[in-house]
Amino acid sequence: MAELDEIIHQPLRLKIMAALNALPAATGLEFSRLKKLTGATDGNLGAHIETLAKAGYVSVEKAFVGKKPQTTVTATASGRGAFARHVATLQEIIAGKQG
Amino acid sequence: MIDSKQASEALAEIDDIVQRVRQSRIYDLASLMMILWGGLVFAANVATYLWPRQGYYIWFAVYVFGIAGSFAVSASNRARTGVRTFDIRAFIAFLLLVAFGYFCGLVLGHFTPRQQGAFWTIYFMLFYALAGLWFGNAFVAIGLGITALTLIGYFYIGEAFPLWMAFVNGGGLILGGLWMRRS
Repeated sequence: MAELDEIIHQPLRLKIMAALNALPAATGLEFSRLKKLTGATDGNLGAHIETLAKAGYVSVEKAFVGKKPQTTVTATASGRGAFARHVATLQEIIAGKQG
Repeated sequence: MIDSKQASEALAEIDDIVQRVRQSRIYDLASLMMILWGGLVFAANVATYLWPRQGYYIWFAVYVFGIAGSFAVSASNRARTGVRTFDIRAFIAFLLLVAFGYFCGLVLGHFTPRQQGAFWTIYFMLFYALAGLWFGNAFVAIGLGITALTLIGYFYIGEAFPLWMAFVNGGGLILGGLWMRRS
């Protein structure tokens, strides 16, 4: 019986993973765009991205665009797999196989 | 473990964010195209006002630079995100739209330059408004807003109509593109 992924299940981390998973592989989202999409604050978003990065679900790249620092977050293959399993588990729960 | 209601809420949350990401990516690309075409249309309307007899050459040049620029924006977007956006099908669709517009304006209608100025803008804005039904309300707002201002100019602005159109159509597209980038 599949288990929900506790790292992804947290509401903001679920939004982050859903947003990144909606992009083509190896394509990331800038921190500012992710903040707008999720409606999170800087600190909260940063903390949850760090948790996902520690789990190996996202990679974080920092670069300078002109003089501005830009942070880009990308879902890793492992993160995409974990997200797909998490969604499958949610669907199983709805179908009444679990819960 | 969560119950099925909570699982449904989580899936709805996922669907919602996926929709927002898609719309954000569409706005991101469309805004670049709008700023590009807005700049060209602004310059072309000012040039038409200054040299009205050269109108056909001016607008032909706009199409050439606009299409080349659209391919360049698409190539840049593809390098950045891996997604091609202005491809040969989009190019053919654009040519068909222009051909139909010319057929209506010059073959069926024999429009005056002033009528053409209003017609082409309203014609393209119709497609913006229609696109908005699928891709987001910003397209509808921009399409209807520019159409309304074009009609006001057509009926109430005199000789300076091309200048009015430079700000309404060219400026409108640029401002609309910038607004989309912030949305």
